[in-house]
Amino acid sequence: MIYFALAKGRLAEESAKLLGRCGVDVSVLSQDTRKLVLKSADGAFGFFLVKPSDVPIYVESGVADLGIVGKDTLLEENRELYELLDLGFGQCRMCLAGYPERKDVLTSPNLRVATKYVNTARRLFEGRGEEAEIIPLHGSIELAPVTGLSDVIFDVVQTGSTLKANGLVVLEEVFTHITARLVANKVSLKLNKEILPLVEKIGENL
Amino acid sequence: MIYRKLPAGVQDVLPRECRILTDIKERLQKKFTVSGYRPVLSAALEYYDTYSKIRNAVPQEHLFKLSDTDGNLIVLRPDMTLSISRIAATKLGETRTRLCYFADKWDLKSAGGITSREIYQAGVECLGEEGAFSDAQAIAFAIECLKETGLKDFVVDIGHVGYFKGVTRACGLDEDRAEELRGYINAKDSLNAERLLSGSGAKKSAAAVVGALPSLFGGAEVLGRAYALTEDELARSAVLHLKEVNELLCRMGYETYICFDLGTVKKLSYYSGVIFSGLVKELGAPVMSGGRYDNLADDFGKHIPAVGFAMGLKRILVALERQGSLPAEEDVPVIVCGEGSEELGYREFLGRTARGERVRLSDLTGEEGAKRERAAGHAVIYVTGEEK
Repeated sequence: MIYFALAKGRLAEESAKLLGRCGVDVSVLSQDTRKLVLKSADGAFGFFLVKPSDVPIYVESGVADLGIVGKDTLLEENRELYELLDLGFGQCRMCLAGYPERKDVLTSPNLRVATKYVNTARRLFEGRGEEAEIIPLHGSIELAPVTGLSDVIFDVVQTGSTLKANGLVVLEEVFTHITARLVANKVSLKLNKEILPLVEKIGENL
Repeated sequence: MIYRKLPAGVQDVLPRECRILTDIKERLQKKFTVSGYRPVLSAALEYYDTYSKIRNAVPQEHLFKLSDTDGNLIVLRPDMTLSISRIAATKLGETRTRLCYFADKWDLKSAGGITSREIYQAGVECLGEEGAFSDAQAIAFAIECLKETGLKDFVVDIGHVGYFKGVTRACGLDEDRAEELRGYINAKDSLNAERLLSGSGAKKSAAAVVGALPSLFGGAEVLGRAYALTEDELARSAVLHLKEVNELLCRMGYETYICFDLGTVKKLSYYSGVIFSGLVKELGAPVMSGGRYDNLADDFGKHIPAVGFAMGLKRILVALERQGSLPAEEDVPVIVCGEGSEELGYREFLGRTARGERVRLSDLTGEEGAKRERAAGHAVIYVTGEEK
């Protein structure tokens, strides 16, 4: 029995498709249900559909053996787990964005940065020896510079259309290769003999 | 109101849990004693400088710090091996000795999930010892200790820091880059490891070995694979050493308990040779962790090669519970004295406890007392001088 923690939302569908190609019975994932623990008909797999930022803790603790989650979340959560495969989908970039005419604010002290990636942003600016005031938000990040809550935002950018609609531009691409990753619990990978063959199969079916 | 609560990351151990924890401790204590380990207790408070002035320091964000009355910074013991190494180098005349301990250590940073800020450990350190047989003995003893706790289906995962050091030095990385690489390898993140290596201009052949590190785990057959992969002398001698340890452990009868992982590179940098951890399926984190640290005591002024390990007793308890191996709570019978027969009941109590029986002497007396004890679900031993 292998338990998966899958990130709800844009990655879940792609994840299900990929696992389907690897012979995992994922029909249960397409059911419209409010159940939180889903089990495949053959009883070989269990799935937890959780908020993306919760995938790492489920895998780190061993509640889930494997997980599929974006690299952005892995960077932010920084948990003890194995990152086994780059699944390629969910491609995006992590960028600093703001108004083009205020580009010079990047170098001014106490830059105000709105983000939902609080830890990643803190590490980023610490690593550069720059001081920044991190403003934690949970959604509609682009609103922050528009309303003057922050100077810039640090967020994932997929197409850039939300930025454009609000008159913002990418000021700096910080991480360019953000994609979905297959992660594993450190103990499960070694003790659950079914996991490694499945991981290899997933690698072949990308 | 807030003063009734505990700070984040620490827990009280309540009687039922504590009873089992104490049982495990007593069993391990006996095991340690009969196997020739001498107990030691280190001070819970130490100078901050003890840890900031040595090479293998615990990072300061993990240290619980307090200010002493003279303004010196002191810390709550962050690691038992460091303390024992300090004691051995500075206070023991005979440094070839085997020591054991039961103690808490504190980690300011870890909280939430399966980590706690107060970690109760049982461990042993074999000081002044070198060689494959010493390593094999430490691993074998770790297996015996885990068996003693009642854990089932565990394995001990064995690696060697020399292999990682060997294959990365061949890449010519500076210290920061090597540390970054260690993080990636430890996360089995071969993608970022490859990116880092190609960006730092490492030789292709050397980079290929590092790329293979995350997959170098499994049974003893990985040792052959690992040896063939590299020509670095340090890396190869690490593999040869592991082969020797493996052979010894097999001859000692532990073949089914061990596996290998050459891609494990622990955070604590004092490890210098064999490293190992105890894993159970039911828990996502190791229940036991150890290794060889030949150069640690150098920082305390003496060269004492050593190997040791520690078990996280509360993690073991969680694993036992998940394996369904916790003993049921047993009722302790209660002695109730008849009215005016208190001394008889007390003598009965002394006699039984002297024989090692578990029994409690009730504060209640007479038929009424016996009734109340029975109503609370206890087996009652009624002691009275009166003729029935």
